[in-house]
Amino acid sequence: MFILQATKLHKSYGNKWNKQEVLKGLDVSVKKGEFVSIMGASGSGKTTLLNVLSSIDKVNDGSILIDGTEMTKMKEKQLAEFRKHQLGFIFQEYNLLDTLTVKENILLPLSVMNISRKGAEQRFRALAKTLGIEDVQNKYPNEISGGQKQRTSAARAFIHQPSIIFADEPTGALDSKSASDLLDKLKELNQQYEATIVMVTHHAVAASYGDRVIFIKDGQIYTQLHKGEQSRKDFFQDIMSTQAVLGGVQDEDQ
Amino acid sequence: MKISKLILKNLKKNVKNYYLYVFALTFSVALYFSFVTLQYDPALDATKGSIKGEAGIKAGSVILILIVTVFLLYANRLFMKRRSKEIGLLQLIGMTKNNVFRILSAENFILYFSSFAMGMFLGFSVSKVILMILFKITGVETTVNLRFSSEAFIQTTIVFTIIYLLMMGLNYLFIQRRTILNLFHVNTTSETKGKRLTWLEMLIGLLGIGLILLGYYLSTELFSAEYMTSNGLFFMMILILSSVIVGTYLFYKGTVSFVFHLIRKRKQGLLSIQDVTSLSPLMFRMKSNSLLLTIITTISALAIGLLSLSYITFYSIEEVAKNTVPNDFAFISEEDANQLKQALDSSNITYEETIFEVIQVAFNMNDILSQDNIFANNDGYVRTPVISDTDLERMDVDEGELIISGYNKSLQSVFPFKSSGIVTLKGKNNTVELGYTGIEKNYYLSHYYTGGSARPTAIVDDKMFQQLKKDLDREIEQPSSIYIGLDVVNKKQLEQAHALFAEQNFTSEYAESQLHIKKENQKIFGLIMFVVGFLGLTFLITSGCILYFKQMDEAEDEQPNYTILRKIGFTQSNLLKGVIRKQIFNFGIPLLVGLSHSYFAVKSGWFFFGAELWTPMMLVMVIYTALYSIFAFLSVLYYKRVIREAL
Repeated sequence: MFILQATKLHKSYGNKWNKQEVLKGLDVSVKKGEFVSIMGASGSGKTTLLNVLSSIDKVNDGSILIDGTEMTKMKEKQLAEFRKHQLGFIFQEYNLLDTLTVKENILLPLSVMNISRKGAEQRFRALAKTLGIEDVQNKYPNEISGGQKQRTSAARAFIHQPSIIFADEPTGALDSKSASDLLDKLKELNQQYEATIVMVTHHAVAASYGDRVIFIKDGQIYTQLHKGEQSRKDFFQDIMSTQAVLGGVQDEDQ
Repeated sequence: MKISKLILKNLKKNVKNYYLYVFALTFSVALYFSFVTLQYDPALDATKGSIKGEAGIKAGSVILILIVTVFLLYANRLFMKRRSKEIGLLQLIGMTKNNVFRILSAENFILYFSSFAMGMFLGFSVSKVILMILFKITGVETTVNLRFSSEAFIQTTIVFTIIYLLMMGLNYLFIQRRTILNLFHVNTTSETKGKRLTWLEMLIGLLGIGLILLGYYLSTELFSAEYMTSNGLFFMMILILSSVIVGTYLFYKGTVSFVFHLIRKRKQGLLSIQDVTSLSPLMFRMKSNSLLLTIITTISALAIGLLSLSYITFYSIEEVAKNTVPNDFAFISEEDANQLKQALDSSNITYEETIFEVIQVAFNMNDILSQDNIFANNDGYVRTPVISDTDLERMDVDEGELIISGYNKSLQSVFPFKSSGIVTLKGKNNTVELGYTGIEKNYYLSHYYTGGSARPTAIVDDKMFQQLKKDLDREIEQPSSIYIGLDVVNKKQLEQAHALFAEQNFTSEYAESQLHIKKENQKIFGLIMFVVGFLGLTFLITSGCILYFKQMDEAEDEQPNYTILRKIGFTQSNLLKGVIRKQIFNFGIPLLVGLSHSYFAVKSGWFFFGAELWTPMMLVMVIYTALYSIFAFLSVLYYKRVIREAL
């Protein structure tokens, strides 16, 4: 039932004498098809958490199971293979290759899979339609807007139908209109493809699009909020008040 | 942190990054120093041939310093660009521009002059080896002494100090001209940004290939009869050069990206990881580097071409000597021949004698030539030496026929003969028609008769020979009509015989020794070969280094892309495979284009330089390619490190 199960994650940086513990025995689990947001102040360890969950960084201790596969013991090559097939990524700074067109960027993850050109084309059409980037498919990243870039990046994360998608501040560089556009699309894809999404954000609005919000403080889970049946607006209010307790200051820009 | 500490720290990092720069600089200094040392070395007088050795070396060292200057200035500019952010940062924290400049100059000074000192030391220690190589190539036998030349030291120091000052001047301008803001943006005016292909680019691409092919076509026609006036030849050469060079530029500007674009289009967006790391960066990079690539290609083509030609000359020395003087010793008067024969007899050296009676007859060969004979008079007749088949062992020519001999590959490539036809011979009163049956490449007569292998020799039946002799046109006869060749039977005695030959006083200047011609040519062409060889090596190393630096730069620019790709889940070896492919193109395309340019250049005129084309040319090309590949290999290693550190 759980697509991701992480237990007792420990992660620290620095050397023997000057050690900085970032994750202090953290447990997370995510159900299949769930849209989870992770929130926390700067330095709380949320990005580190995302990095270790997505295998880009290694934990010092603990176990991470994705779809029943233990990830922490894997070798570099296996990890790459695993990322290629099971994981999708959306980054704050888009991370598109400037030398490829929008379409080529999106189809990139498929290049190592045995997938027919026709099949690739079909998947691309469907995604491009949902995300509204059909018109720009033959343009290069420097010719399109930030919102379009991020939707391209999202399409790339979904194209190979991964088990789980990690998004690191996907709305961080977008204006509020583009941001809500993107989040709407993500939500749509989440429902349409039953895709699991784990998103790190510090925007309460962004977080309110998820089914659940995990608050991190000092390398441990502080609390969790479930959306349940309430409206997004109410959920947003809940998140805001929790954040106020957590950080002491209300986020003014939302 | 103190400024001196900062300098040292930067330096440490730089040495690791710029080891190739240090190497190239050290190498250049060493080479220049030993060249200049040679120039001042009294031992060099021994290689004096018909041209002065010193002049050759001097010309070489001037070209050498030109290449090195361009190389150093370019490398310096690249490094400045890489460090512009750092320069901006230092200014941002409150350093004045002059301060920054001082730091950079000090750093450079240490790097530059320690390489310089190393180069000097190296140059001094290898100059003896280099001198030995020179003597070996030119066949001069003298003992070599290692001598430290203070003139050479001073000259090298002055020249390289001037280059250093020039570099610093440019750096000063670089720092002065740029504001902090655009220092931070120097790198982001990136060349990699994708843009779509326009019709204009496609046109440029096609034009590029067209111009190159046009140049190639013209080069094959260069020495055909049509353009054989000196003005026409000059005009053609300029036309070929400009069309090939402009074509090359357009080739990089358009053709490469055009071809890659077609490949990409065929893939319908589904690019493999190899394509991503090779094809797509290449098509944009080549375009923005087109000027640099054109220069590198032209330089490589020039180097390969010159190396090939000088090696063809050097390689053909023996054959040319044989064609000029077919026997060990050649005479055109019995008196001179007897003089040497007596000398040989008294030293107990056995020899064989070959005697030909030679007459000059006017030939009309238009029927067997594939194109017009430019050596012929207005009426189509050309003077040709004729010998009788009785003077030749093992050869019998039928009456009514003739064989052409002494027509080597080089002549054949300019004025090819058909396999058969009719030749008209004109005597004083009568004309005779003879059937031409083929070519024999052996030479029988010395250059007194053949005019330095420009005129082939005809062999006819003795009856015909006697008939022609009765009907000689006195106007075209030469003063002498006999050729005597002497061959030493035991080749071990050849040197001794040659010494005897040198002692004699002959009446005619056409009393010649094959060995003497060989040695003289070896001195001249050996020296040329030596200078061109080292220049070629410098060309190679500097252009290889420039490409390598460019790749270092590119690798660093692309590191974020590698980070993305590795995050998405591509392994290091996935990426490296693409990078290897990219480097094959990056280094291979300029090399291939350069090779093909030089091939056509050499092919169009090689016959003026020697008698053999393929072996020497292929050898030069293979060695050049092998040495050049080292740089491609080094760049792949660098990329490997960048990819490894990307995540």
